Amino acid sequence: MKNSYLRAGAALACALALSACGGDDGELLLGGYMSGVTKTGLVLTNNGGSDYAVQPLNGGAGSFNFPELISTDDRYSVEVKAMPSNVERCDVEFGSGRAGYHVSSIIVTCILKRHALGGPVSNLKSPLVVVNGSDRVEIPAGATSFKMTEVPEDSPFGVSVLTQPAGQTCTVSNGAGLMGTSDVSNIAITCTP
Amino acid sequence: MKQSLIRPALVLALAATLSACGGSDDDNYTVKGTVSGIVYPGAVLTTNGMDLPLGVPATPGGTVSFEFPNKLKYGDEYDVQFKSYPANQSQCGSLANTIANNKDTAGRLADINITLACDVDAYALNGTITGLTVDGLVLANGSNTGTLTIGKETTTTPKPYTFTMPVVQFGVSYNVVVVTQPAGLTCSVANGTGVMGAANVTNVAVTCVPN
Repeated sequence: MKNSYLRAGAALACALALSACGGDDGELLLGGYMSGVTKTGLVLTNNGGSDYAVQPLNGGAGSFNFPELISTDDRYSVEVKAMPSNVERCDVEFGSGRAGYHVSSIIVTCILKRHALGGPVSNLKSPLVVVNGSDRVEIPAGATSFKMTEVPEDSPFGVSVLTQPAGQTCTVSNGAGLMGTSDVSNIAITCTP
Repeated sequence: MKQSLIRPALVLALAATLSACGGSDDDNYTVKGTVSGIVYPGAVLTTNGMDLPLGVPATPGGTVSFEFPNKLKYGDEYDVQFKSYPANQSQCGSLANTIANNKDTAGRLADINITLACDVDAYALNGTITGLTVDGLVLANGSNTGTLTIGKETTTTPKPYTFTMPVVQFGVSYNVVVVTQPAGLTCSVANGTGVMGAANVTNVAVTCVPN
């Protein structure tokens, strides 16, 4: 009677021990390509196992690999456990399957939060062209405010005059900075009479 | 007697078979494919003595299909090249040629389908810095390419002290701005805003003065 409990217990312990080391003694990489990962906070798991805190990359895009290796024929299932604070969401594609060889086909796409960029315009009498890098906006005569294309959180921005209006000179104040967690609406464009 | 009839019949059958595979009315292979990324006019493709001008797609930068007018025979070699590039797109094909089947023998594949790509030429966005006596200056080209942190000028810094922003494509606007001022200094940018032309920009000037 006792013996059989012991035996069951031993079997259970054995099974637990085996499952605990199951993922670690492999020789295959588990990873893929990620984008939108510009700061720390992304945590991935495989089969609900230990946390993999993904390091951000310059530009937010590049390859990633779990620190633990897996073995041939292992089933894997990658999920997002936590996201960086500056993203709307992170999606996993091709996140589960069975390993035949190194797995490099998992795609993690994080969509960055974006916020408005603009502000008041005063005394503009003919059209003015402003830019934020490649984003070019023509502000019509008489406009009292302007808006650029929305900018990802934590991204730099800079609004500058590309083409002055005829007969006027406009200046931009508060034109450059880093996008925070809310809209920027204090970029002021002031034009001479 | 019987034998002599069989022999010509065989020869005839053989000739018929041969003409079926290599014959002159078997011009069955159309050299065709797609080019992506064309933004400017001027592209001309060429192969087997044919020239084929390509237009700009309705959505510039989208994909255009092409098909050379004369079909090729089985076994003809083709090698599709740009005879002229679209304006401001001298990188056409160079990347795609390494992966595309632009050069082959007609009939080796059931269908000839060539994929080529064009990119708009990009030019440098560089400049000089003066008066940067402390670390902490951060520059950016709008929201396009992240930030560039620039260290202070030291005795070993080559003069003039230059910086290199990521390249900008022809026709695209840029503006170099100060995102973070170094402690105790105010840096301003001259010649920092423009639209990239067909030459490197090297005259962006950042000048830092003590507050």
